[in-house]
Amino acid sequence: MRVFTAVIAIAAGTLVLGGYFLPALAPVQTLLLNWATILAGVAVLVGIFNLVSVHSDKIRRHEKGNAYSALLLMALIVTFLFAMILRPDHIIMKIALSGIIIPVEAALMGLLTISLLYAAIRLLRRRAELMSIVFLITAALLILGSATLPFGNIPVIGTFIRPWITQVLALGGARGILIGVALGALTTGLRVLFGADRPYGGN
Amino acid sequence: MVLSLDLITGLLSFVFTLFIFSYLIGDNPLFRIAVYIFVGVSSGYIASIAWWQVIWPRLINPLIFGSILEKGFMLVPLIGAILIFMKILPRMAGMARFAMAFMVGVGAAVTIYGAVAGTLIPQVLGTINIFDLLAASARNVSPIESIFNGSVILAGTIFTLIYFHFGARPKADGSMQRMRLIELFAWVGRIFIGITLGTVFAGVYAAALTAFIERIISIINFIGNFL
Repeated sequence: MRVFTAVIAIAAGTLVLGGYFLPALAPVQTLLLNWATILAGVAVLVGIFNLVSVHSDKIRRHEKGNAYSALLLMALIVTFLFAMILRPDHIIMKIALSGIIIPVEAALMGLLTISLLYAAIRLLRRRAELMSIVFLITAALLILGSATLPFGNIPVIGTFIRPWITQVLALGGARGILIGVALGALTTGLRVLFGADRPYGGN
Repeated sequence: MVLSLDLITGLLSFVFTLFIFSYLIGDNPLFRIAVYIFVGVSSGYIASIAWWQVIWPRLINPLIFGSILEKGFMLVPLIGAILIFMKILPRMAGMARFAMAFMVGVGAAVTIYGAVAGTLIPQVLGTINIFDLLAASARNVSPIESIFNGSVILAGTIFTLIYFHFGARPKADGSMQRMRLIELFAWVGRIFIGITLGTVFAGVYAAALTAFIERIISIINFIGNFL
């Protein structure tokens, strides 16, 4: 069974990767990507079923905060049933989207304003070392430089320092980080294709 | 009808924004109610999207209304879907390995191609092209400025990559030590990483501040409609 799962992963990966370079394999690649999309959709449903079962268990065991779990399950079931019957693009579903999902996401994002500021102050108090000082000075300069003031941009900071930091200094660091991440992803992908890593449970 | 729907949307938006902002005075039941309802509604909505936009049109519809060939091709993902659903049953959860192996294999291939074609080649080309003096003069950038900025970007890229090089040799006392030159370059790399993360922080902070102001304005507008 372990060998069989590894063979499935290696064969599927090789065919999909080959499809990018060999036109003859492109139809097979499209078919396999379509199958993977379907399975990813099914995996989403299984994940949400897991969420339901975790919160159902909390309610059944009368654990602390089970009233919140009941609220979550009610909201989930009502939304799912409405969306299954009416379809997600129905006007009632737009209310759920524009009345609950988007405002809560925006408000949580807004809360970050306070928590990020608090985190920055804590960083300076607890780890006043070179990297954190460079980090905070850069952030402060960029926020100051991008602030819209009644008299326009702050001279030098807004017109010279901010563009130079974002377009030159930060670009160099970001490029190094991106190339590092890509090399890591490439290595991990190759290890899976060679069967050295088997995160699907094949040991 | 449209007006009442707008009112319901505005009211829900107002109430949920206030509940979330109540976190500013500390963790409280109103914040938790809003977050749990948000998770429930989002999960239900995502589940319906997964059904109506993926599973129904790509799997169920071809299985019911497709040609015999299409039905044959869809048998494989149907079996895969059944295997993934077996994860729900603890005794049968191991059967999902076959479908997971397929998804991991496809994901690895897409990741490899994405890393090479989407990141490595464009980033390396981007670093090289800054030294293209003809292109720089076409953009009205002086050759000296272009070479200087290109050198700083190239140095930043290399020093940042060196920072993540953790190869070390054992010293006489048994402790591990990186080469001195590598240590020096890694120290410069730390500064570039600090600047990059500071830039990301400033960007996220600006986005969060924009969202915060937008929510405050929406609260003021909603109250203003009733005054």
